[in-house]
Amino acid sequence: MPDHVMNLTVNGRKVKRPLGENYRLLDFLREELHLTGAKEGCGAGECGTCSVFVDGKLVKSCLMPTLKADGATIETVEGLAPLDSLTEVQRAFHKTGASQCGYCIPGMVMAATAALRENPEADFEEIKERLGGNICRCTGYAKIFEAVEIARDVIAGRLPQTALEPDAAAESFIGASVRRIDAPSKVTGRLKYAGDMIMPDMLHMQVLRSPHAHARIVSIDTSEAEALEGVACVITAADVPGEDGFGVFVHDQPIMARGKVRHVGEAVAAVSAESVEIARRALGLIKVEYEELPAVFDPEEAMRPGAPVIHDYAPDNLVKHIPIRKGDVEAGFAEADLIVENTYSTQQIEHAYLEPEAGLAYVDPDGVVTIHSPSQNITHHRHMLAKIINRPINKVRFIMSPVGGGFGGKEDMIYQGMLALAAMKSGRPVRLVFTREESIIASAKRHPARITYRMGLKSDGRITAVSFRMISDGGAYGMSTEGVMRKAAILAFGPYEVPNLKVDTYGIYTNNTPSGAFRSFGAMQTQFATESHLDLCAEKLGLDPFEIRRRNMMKIGSTTHTGQMLETCSMEEVLRVAEEFCRWERGAPTSRGATRSDLGGPDTRKPCTLGARFKMPEAEESKQEVA
Amino acid sequence: MFTYDSYHLPRTLREALELAATLPADGKVIAGGTDIVPYAREGRGGDVHFPVLLDVSKVAEFQGYAIENGRARLNAALPYQAFLEDPVLRENLPCMPGCAIWFADDQIREQATLAGNLVNASPAGDGAPPMMALNAEVELARLSGGEVTTRRLPLGEFITGPGRTVLEPGELVTAVICDALPGYGGSFQKVGQRRSLVISRVCAAALVKLDPTRHVFEDVRLALGGIAPVPLRLHDIEEMLRGKKITRRLVAEASVIPADRVASRTRVEYRRHVVRGFVEAAIEDALVACGAPVPSDRDREEAHA
Amino acid sequence: MSRYARGRGMAAAWYGIAKTATIDRAGSWVELDDGGTAKVLTGVTEIGEGILTVLAQVAAEELGIRPEQVTIGDNDTSRSPEAAHAGATRQTYMIGNSVALACRNARERLDAEIADHWGVDINLIEAFNGEIWARGTNKRMTMEEAVHICKSRGVVPVGSGSFTAHGTGLDPVNGTGAPWQVYVFGAQVAEVEVDTVTGEVQVLGMWAVHDVGRTINPRGVEGQIEGAIVQGLGQALMEDYQTEKGHTTTPGFSKYILPTALDIPQINSRLVEDRDPKSPLGAKGIGEPALVPTAPAIINAIYDAIGVRITSLPATPEKVLAGLAAKKAASIAAE
Repeated sequence: MPDHVMNLTVNGRKVKRPLGENYRLLDFLREELHLTGAKEGCGAGECGTCSVFVDGKLVKSCLMPTLKADGATIETVEGLAPLDSLTEVQRAFHKTGASQCGYCIPGMVMAATAALRENPEADFEEIKERLGGNICRCTGYAKIFEAVEIARDVIAGRLPQTALEPDAAAESFIGASVRRIDAPSKVTGRLKYAGDMIMPDMLHMQVLRSPHAHARIVSIDTSEAEALEGVACVITAADVPGEDGFGVFVHDQPIMARGKVRHVGEAVAAVSAESVEIARRALGLIKVEYEELPAVFDPEEAMRPGAPVIHDYAPDNLVKHIPIRKGDVEAGFAEADLIVENTYSTQQIEHAYLEPEAGLAYVDPDGVVTIHSPSQNITHHRHMLAKIINRPINKVRFIMSPVGGGFGGKEDMIYQGMLALAAMKSGRPVRLVFTREESIIASAKRHPARITYRMGLKSDGRITAVSFRMISDGGAYGMSTEGVMRKAAILAFGPYEVPNLKVDTYGIYTNNTPSGAFRSFGAMQTQFATESHLDLCAEKLGLDPFEIRRRNMMKIGSTTHTGQMLETCSMEEVLRVAEEFCRWERGAPTSRGATRSDLGGPDTRKPCTLGARFKMPEAEESKQEVA
Repeated sequence: MFTYDSYHLPRTLREALELAATLPADGKVIAGGTDIVPYAREGRGGDVHFPVLLDVSKVAEFQGYAIENGRARLNAALPYQAFLEDPVLRENLPCMPGCAIWFADDQIREQATLAGNLVNASPAGDGAPPMMALNAEVELARLSGGEVTTRRLPLGEFITGPGRTVLEPGELVTAVICDALPGYGGSFQKVGQRRSLVISRVCAAALVKLDPTRHVFEDVRLALGGIAPVPLRLHDIEEMLRGKKITRRLVAEASVIPADRVASRTRVEYRRHVVRGFVEAAIEDALVACGAPVPSDRDREEAHA
Repeated sequence: MSRYARGRGMAAAWYGIAKTATIDRAGSWVELDDGGTAKVLTGVTEIGEGILTVLAQVAAEELGIRPEQVTIGDNDTSRSPEAAHAGATRQTYMIGNSVALACRNARERLDAEIADHWGVDINLIEAFNGEIWARGTNKRMTMEEAVHICKSRGVVPVGSGSFTAHGTGLDPVNGTGAPWQVYVFGAQVAEVEVDTVTGEVQVLGMWAVHDVGRTINPRGVEGQIEGAIVQGLGQALMEDYQTEKGHTTTPGFSKYILPTALDIPQINSRLVEDRDPKSPLGAKGIGEPALVPTAPAIINAIYDAIGVRITSLPATPEKVLAGLAAKKAASIAAE
């Protein structure tokens, strides 16, 4: 079958190429034709980064066996417009700032193009429906919808072409909505992310991952894998020449499991071979003998004496405890008219950047170990890797490739070390591209949290004391847990001044997928509890939610929970603007939705009932009436 | 990783059946293919290798549909998008546009077929409940002594359990044949945590016809998915409503019954809650779709009291 | 009761800008180049937030040229100065200010040569949008000419900048310290509709008000807020990474549910500009703080709509219906 010759028309040109090992249309376009505008975000048809037109219909090319497309006419994002020009849709995306990381954008441009080809008069609801198969993790979709509506109106002649031109900056470029300078490279699919890069003689890496949550590695036998034709090298922890260990705060994580595995999905060995398929076959030939160890999956259980110990250096499984103390909490509660207690919990969250981890490493002619990857912290990675591979720091070079979404999830050096070792061992460039599933099990998550809250208030709503305790599952490695616990603790009680406060946050090792840095770094979890709790208290005191916050808010000159005097503070202004901006109807939060008069304004959307394209206007209205 | 040794794309039924007759046990018949590639991934089937893939999506006899004598013949390669965008199908199969719009997304609907969805027989499959409500039959064909032979089975007999059908080796689904019901009001209810790319937990399909007075149920069809290993047709409730004057109270009473049919192993309480509301909402929305008056909140409250 | 119930909730938040409880730093190099263009080299790469555009705007403003004339070099540990990591809502604050300082340094070199060339006081020199002039005189030329003159006089107009933010460590026993030199504040309001048959929640509107110090790019800031809100909405209503004995049960995007185009509210944002007095630009940051109040605002809105207090995220249809059932049971018991 690899010899089968595919006959296609791609972007207007006849293409005659052997199938090779490109089983899916997406692989054929990317690996054989180097049309890397179509990306693999999930490989399962759930994200739309791979959308292309096949015989005029937009499809997800990751779901299409290549041979299904034999003889077809294909149009990819690269073929939408001639070089040096953009379609109306692309120009509109540029104009509105519809691209952020850009990884979903080629697919999104294709979906928008398809929507307007299918129905040039599609209304806002129909546009949204037709973009429903394409996930964007950065933009919140708003600027994308705006772009599609502008493009539709320009194409239809309702708006002039000048609607696609940038707004001129009058007196200053600061404060002007200058168009994103990286947008043209993103809306055309031209920008190369790490997984799009190729080098001559490049090897492909695949990683063997732990099937166990906690196990001792008795032995690893890589001989059969190494003997497989097409395999260049296999690496394990034994290949690390220097001091093995990385982490944002504690360097507790080896490049690959050393002696034992601590979570399911931890890297154990990696194969570099002539193709991904060969590398995957070789993984199956590596023999690892494990001796399973008792594991712990609940942070509170992990804190108990006698719990399985995950890292020898932390016999109590504590990654970090951050205490904050202010005033006299007991006195504060004694003074309160009302004490409200509750518990809150938040879940583990996946970053779900559309670009799975990827990297390309080589040793340059001067012996510099060079790694291209979408790392959010190349400075720190270089420091750590130099020690791990025992080379002078100027012989290690990190280049930050365009990042297809990070949100904190690409701060951990979970694969760059393997790439460096394989490049050093094979003497060839090596590329690794994670699958979505691999990204999900191997990368850090947002810390889940269990929070116990106790708050004392006077009957006028002034808070006299706060006691706050949070237990967080840090998972198998430290990663950013220490910093997350610190930020969570400092910000826990929110922008309110309180004389008496006691905050404790605990990050705990378990055998779960590690938790790490994630946009807002602990503040989301703690302030979710605080803001929920304040509404609970406001209801009991009959106070409007804005009012209870206003009575306690920080001001210029306030002392923060860590004893810092605020020289500036905009809290009062923020609350004032917010209350007015949303037309807030005042009242205590007593579940009064049914009687409020500030609902359903022009600044809200209609509920989504689906079927915008076939619904009769009157059916739409009657649906509203049922509501 | 998804790999295969050979891939067949027959253009005629006979060619397809000949290939099906020699398909090895670990070979696979696909149409849209939108389920097989995601299956071959970590966390599901892992690396899956097929010695032979038989793609029936280009078979001439499997294209398009026909409507004759009150029945619609939906050929095996008809993609989901047709139920949404073809005005004839929309008119004749009134519960299908709602089903289609909730099904995956536009791009997958261009590939995915109704027949394939029924062959997969997932308890969460969207296509089965509305097809049950439309009295669907599945037509199967095979080669027997060099001749094409066919058989037809009611959908409820075709699907025997989660992922299981009566399809035999060498046999292909050629069409789904169901009632054409112009003039009926149709609706489809589905619950999900989001509004696109939803995999259903519970879904319900309803079809309603009013008598000439427009105050009496002339016909009612109801089916539920996601609450048992196979989709359920609610014949007893249909019977209870048929010929009766349309009242909120009657609809509310009817909607209480099927909660007891929930036979799923997980999320039973949730499914019981939803089913009750769904049957009521499905009937009400179907009524609205065929022009019945919209119930007011007060009607509902009185009915539930 | 009506199938659909609506309600509103609000939440406020605060956040610190740049690295926590430590000294943060960022460096940049700048060269005013031939043709009146510029090269900026600093350890930063776009992670989607729009930093390249922000830096081009800052450099253009400080150098007196246009943003599209600015080329920003690759982030490369062997070729560009350290600007540390892309996170902690520090890009605009740390790197923006370091680029501003580097540009000022380059302009000092250029302005000295041009002032001398014109025979005017250096303090009279101003530049914007590709032109340079001496205030109160008729002396004016393009930046292209200015760079050419500067170089003919033997001077390459290069500059470097290093910006520092002073945070202090926390006391290990009582947590006392000054972790950041600048804080931001924000508040969000959510309007939701709850389907009492299915337990599904749709967020119909969000109002976001955030202090960003000084807005560099209004659309960029809106984009950050919109993205943050949708991530917060995902956490509030659907996203949930789950494991069973350490094995994930949500291994892909069919099980790990993300918000789609059909799940997002209308997002209305308004910015408050309380300039930071401790930095050249006065701007603060928005990337992370915009996510903090979203989930509690939505959860408070659900309570407003149906009287069910969700304390464990996410507020799945199941939890919402279970809450409604418990509430009904309690009210029957009370009767």
